Amino acid sequence: MKFGQEYQQALANEDFPKEWRESAIEYKHLKKCIKKVHKELQSLGLHPDTLRRMSEWVGDSQPEHQDSKDYYSATAPTLSSVPEEFAPQLRVLVDGKTGMPLDATLAPETKSALQKLAKHEMMSAGRRDYLRIPQPPSNHAVRRSSVVSVLTEDIAEEPEDARWVQLPLASAKNFYDMLEPSVQELEVLREAETAKLEEDILDLGDAVENVVQPVREGMEATRKMNYRDLYFWREMFRLYTEKPIFYSGTEARRGAFTFTEAKSRLQAYDTKLREIGLLDQMKTPQARLAAQQFLDLNVKILRIMHFQEMNARAMTKILKKFDKRTHLEGNVFLKDIGTKHPALLTNSGKQGQLQSPGGFANSIARDLNAEIASKVLAIVPQPDDWDCPVCYSMAWKPVSLGCCKSVYCIRCIIKLQDEGMKRCPVCNQETVMKADGRNINFEAMEFLQKYFPMETRKRQKENEKAALVREHGEAFVKPGCAIQ
Amino acid sequence: MTAPLPKRIIKETERLQTEPVPGISAQPHDDNARYFDVTVQGPDGSCYEGGVFNLELFLPDDYPMTPPRIRFLTRIYHPNIDRLGRICLDVLKNNWSPALQIRTILLSIQALLGAPNPEDPLNEAVAKQWKDNQAEAIKNAREWTKLYAQPKE
Repeated sequence: MKFGQEYQQALANEDFPKEWRESAIEYKHLKKCIKKVHKELQSLGLHPDTLRRMSEWVGDSQPEHQDSKDYYSATAPTLSSVPEEFAPQLRVLVDGKTGMPLDATLAPETKSALQKLAKHEMMSAGRRDYLRIPQPPSNHAVRRSSVVSVLTEDIAEEPEDARWVQLPLASAKNFYDMLEPSVQELEVLREAETAKLEEDILDLGDAVENVVQPVREGMEATRKMNYRDLYFWREMFRLYTEKPIFYSGTEARRGAFTFTEAKSRLQAYDTKLREIGLLDQMKTPQARLAAQQFLDLNVKILRIMHFQEMNARAMTKILKKFDKRTHLEGNVFLKDIGTKHPALLTNSGKQGQLQSPGGFANSIARDLNAEIASKVLAIVPQPDDWDCPVCYSMAWKPVSLGCCKSVYCIRCIIKLQDEGMKRCPVCNQETVMKADGRNINFEAMEFLQKYFPMETRKRQKENEKAALVREHGEAFVKPGCAIQ
Repeated sequence: MTAPLPKRIIKETERLQTEPVPGISAQPHDDNARYFDVTVQGPDGSCYEGGVFNLELFLPDDYPMTPPRIRFLTRIYHPNIDRLGRICLDVLKNNWSPALQIRTILLSIQALLGAPNPEDPLNEAVAKQWKDNQAEAIKNAREWTKLYAQPKE
């Protein structure tokens, strides 16, 4: 299927809100517009090939010409000295009196067509400056302008009469007039949608916080919820972070997933949740509601990602097409967008095989991923966050050495002391030997007991056993021994 | 005799598989989960670029209180690695910390390939060459890499 059709179909079939559709890039119209530009150029006798040949020739000009004969220079026709309201135009070097284009390689009918236009321009423009002295190219001035220069070869014979004439191209101007507002609308839309989603994320954060708050002591009877809900949420979020849906932060692959990837990842997540029946196990209706909210939010992010990615693709494609059909350097416009709205364009796979989704989609994925992580996922602490840096089990009972923020389990600190390892494993300061009962981190202990009742109980048993081993030797607690 | 594998080793191994470090692989043996086959790619821009070096890594019983034991199996021309493949690296000896892990150690080794240190030599001959005629030493390292460290097809 052609991209144009694919694009129209996706716009029509997917469940996009009306205002999104209105901001979408009008691929079809733009394509028609390109046809018009093509026609206009052809009516001038300028075939794409001719234009390309001529603009290439300008590009290849040797710099030494610049010093000796400045009117011969390649810098003159580049995109310098372009006023803001500039429309796409051809710039042609013509005979100052007759308006005859000075490129010997042009076909006669092309020459006469250009001559007519040039004469008209020269008359109407009256005292237009001669562009004999090229200005140094200054790229920042480039604004939706596209210039193809036509240089002459026999210019050396009558240099006094050569002058640059700018020929506006109405149809090409239409093209950019149509494209530019779309770009801005898309940017506005992205900002608005991101803000909305951020609101949603905050709401969701509140909802989750409500349903997972561990039961406070003495309040068990009054709270309807079960502390087991906490474990369901934890599992739900653990699976979510284990295989992230929108954005990957691993060493091997860092960046947003494409829409297609994200979609299948979200589907896989949904399937997984169904398989283990997590949602059905939630005890309270509020919890189930919040879970639904969480899934809906992900679908919403996916949808805006899809929309933006499609538009970024449409934009890149249409400008490439513009280039190919007209050789009016649409890619200059593309680069211009790239610098002004870096988030918008598709990233054409610069980093080799790592395909990243286009612009807005990429930044949406990254920003919202971070937002979810900090505002929602963080509400339900994961046991991994409380791993002891030495044994990778839960740091129970938690000990802080006072040198850095690391929290170790009491067994590992005792072991370090037994081995005579004086330095804090993380920050390398000599604090291990000084540690005693006062280093137990009671704040962390309370927190862990509250959020990880099952884990801490298990760890407590392990600790007691390890203490016995230390005191009485391995054989004392070997399985089969009578103390069981 | 087999004591259950400590949680730490299980977790480290899992993470090495699910989030491998680019340019480094570590695969535990089926019959001994404390013994790993390791490959490290020569860093880009170094004289070991393009080479794939095999190493063996063993986690002793008291790991992580003691560092992993690790040595090169592939021959390599490097002032801090001797003929037997033993590596002179501070974090493998005095500066070991139980908060370090297989992954960080292998990264340190990869970094050592990128920055040979002839001032703290293990292989005197190579270190001398490195100090006397660095260009020649680098040429040798390149040749050895071509000779011994070519990736298997």
